[in-house]
Amino acid sequence: MVEHMEGINRLMARYGVKFGIYKNREFHEQLFPFDPLPRVISAAEFRYLEKGLIQRVDALNCFLADIYGEKKIVKDGVIPEDFIFSSKGYLPQCEGMMPPKKIYSHISGIDLVQAKEGTWYILEDNLRIPSGASYPMIARELTRQASPRTFMRNHVVDNRDYAGMLKEVMDHVNTGGIHVVLTPGRYNAAFFEHSYLAERSGAILAMPQDLYVENNRLYYRQYQGRQLQVGTVYRRLSDEYLDPLCFEPESLIGVPGIMDVYRSGNVALVNAPGNGVADDKGIYYFVPHMVKYYLDQEAILKNAPTYLAFYESDRKWILEHLEMLVVKDVSEAGGYGVIFGKDLTKEKREELRQIIIREPRRFIAQEVVDFIDLDIVEGDGGVPRKADLRAFVLSSGTTKVWPSGLTRFSRNPDSFVVNSSQGGGFKDTWVLSQ
Amino acid sequence: MGIISIEKADHLFWLGRYTERVFTTLQTFFKYFDRMLDMDEKAYQTFCGKLTIPVIYENMDDFIDKYLFSLEDPNSVYSNMMRAFDNAVILRDELSSDTLSYIQMALDGIEHAKLHGNALAYDLQPVKDYLYAFWGCLDDNVEDEEGRNIIKCGKYLERLDLYMRLDFPYFYIEKEFNKFLNRLYKIRIGYNRKEADKLTEVMNLKEGWIVRQQDALNALWNIF
Repeated sequence: MVEHMEGINRLMARYGVKFGIYKNREFHEQLFPFDPLPRVISAAEFRYLEKGLIQRVDALNCFLADIYGEKKIVKDGVIPEDFIFSSKGYLPQCEGMMPPKKIYSHISGIDLVQAKEGTWYILEDNLRIPSGASYPMIARELTRQASPRTFMRNHVVDNRDYAGMLKEVMDHVNTGGIHVVLTPGRYNAAFFEHSYLAERSGAILAMPQDLYVENNRLYYRQYQGRQLQVGTVYRRLSDEYLDPLCFEPESLIGVPGIMDVYRSGNVALVNAPGNGVADDKGIYYFVPHMVKYYLDQEAILKNAPTYLAFYESDRKWILEHLEMLVVKDVSEAGGYGVIFGKDLTKEKREELRQIIIREPRRFIAQEVVDFIDLDIVEGDGGVPRKADLRAFVLSSGTTKVWPSGLTRFSRNPDSFVVNSSQGGGFKDTWVLSQ
Repeated sequence: MGIISIEKADHLFWLGRYTERVFTTLQTFFKYFDRMLDMDEKAYQTFCGKLTIPVIYENMDDFIDKYLFSLEDPNSVYSNMMRAFDNAVILRDELSSDTLSYIQMALDGIEHAKLHGNALAYDLQPVKDYLYAFWGCLDDNVEDEEGRNIIKCGKYLERLDLYMRLDFPYFYIEKEFNKFLNRLYKIRIGYNRKEADKLTEVMNLKEGWIVRQQDALNALWNIF
């Protein structure tokens, strides 16, 4: 595989495996650097992760149905209401709405790291529009071509049916009509993924202007003028831009009236709008409590040790130990708003301390998990780099974990931040069958 | 394929036009390049005149450099290839990743020749090869006839336009005209029938079409 690294990356370029990034307000597309050394997960380890991930996503789906419904978890005092109603991801417009088949998070991207002593920790849940599955999908296609015997010898579970799993999800909730992948357009950071998933799952890649609402139904505008009803929208644009009549009125990339159609049960939106309330970094703290509350089980997978500045005792501890914590702004994503206390000067640390005192709800703090390094190829040898794992959990009639995932790594030897937008690369994730 | 939005139909059509523009202008460029090397250093001005593009080039070398490789020159081969790519990239679900990859490689080929090339005809040959492969792959991979008709309608319209402007022999023009009409009648996009009839009338003059060259071009430009 290492011998073929250059060839595989050349094939990636040929197939346009890129992500977009805005620098100085200009759009640039760059290749997502691929490292041929895979992350390897044993069969037993995967069974453990699978169980924990299914449990977590099932609990999160219960939480979403509860929050936009009865709110029992708040009434029972398990989660303070401050964490629900002040969350940017909570959408009052979704109150009382029940998505088709009662599924809110159809595709969940759960970020994990493995500590050096072997424990897996959940770093965050992504329940809105988690991206990244397309990269290991195409990487596997290409690495199998480059070095087929490597796969024959290593008993790697075939991960190439992600598109089939995605189609199963869309079929399950379809209200009658075609499947579309709704992209904001060519200049979205994840456009490659949108187009690739549409191609592979047999869905139609739709731009917002291709869709329109008539008689409380959603239609795809065909060039010959024929109407074609849409039954599932795998939407890859954020809640706030989805429908200018319901959310951000100035959105030019939304579909006016789509929320009314959804509310009437005439189209399925994958994932459901309003999921942001459950993947808020503040809510993350409470996920093990949700597992207990909704499923009456102990959480199998642990959160990284987390403190909420909102609670006075936690806040006091955070302020006293800032230099050994990583502080996260709950409203940020994509590796932004992550501050390592040890990297700050005395003055900057004091500044942060004051902001935390002023806006405690805005921050969580986590102990820095000394997670394992994975070797990446550099020059003629391997060098260790921090790497996380985004696992993809798909919920249709049953909840399933894709036997693969996106392993992202930092290319900077001193960094824990692995996001592609911050210059990271990716690896394939092998789950062994035995 | 088979479910095509208005916007996608537009991209298919223009993908056909831009890929053909790159292919045919590259072919023709080398004929003029030959002329410039041997006797007529200003032949590029004739070339520009036939394509009705402004002569912004200072001399032969400037033309060679800018017309092939400048993104600042909207008429350059590179700019046209970039437009072909911009139209293609949003059609992955229609065309397939394999078909799209040849457009990506043709674009990369121009960029490579720009940065590392030292023998133009040799360095740009892969671009033409990838475009041939693109057309072949399209026929092989894209099952739906409707989409193929739209893209080929764009392709043959562009080819006919260029052949008529660049004084190709009538034999070639007639062949491309027939291919264009064949696709035009198959697509379900509204077009100006009067102009199509006018073009047919001029083409029926056979070799004598040249006396009404401008009428033919006007009719072609007004069909959509």
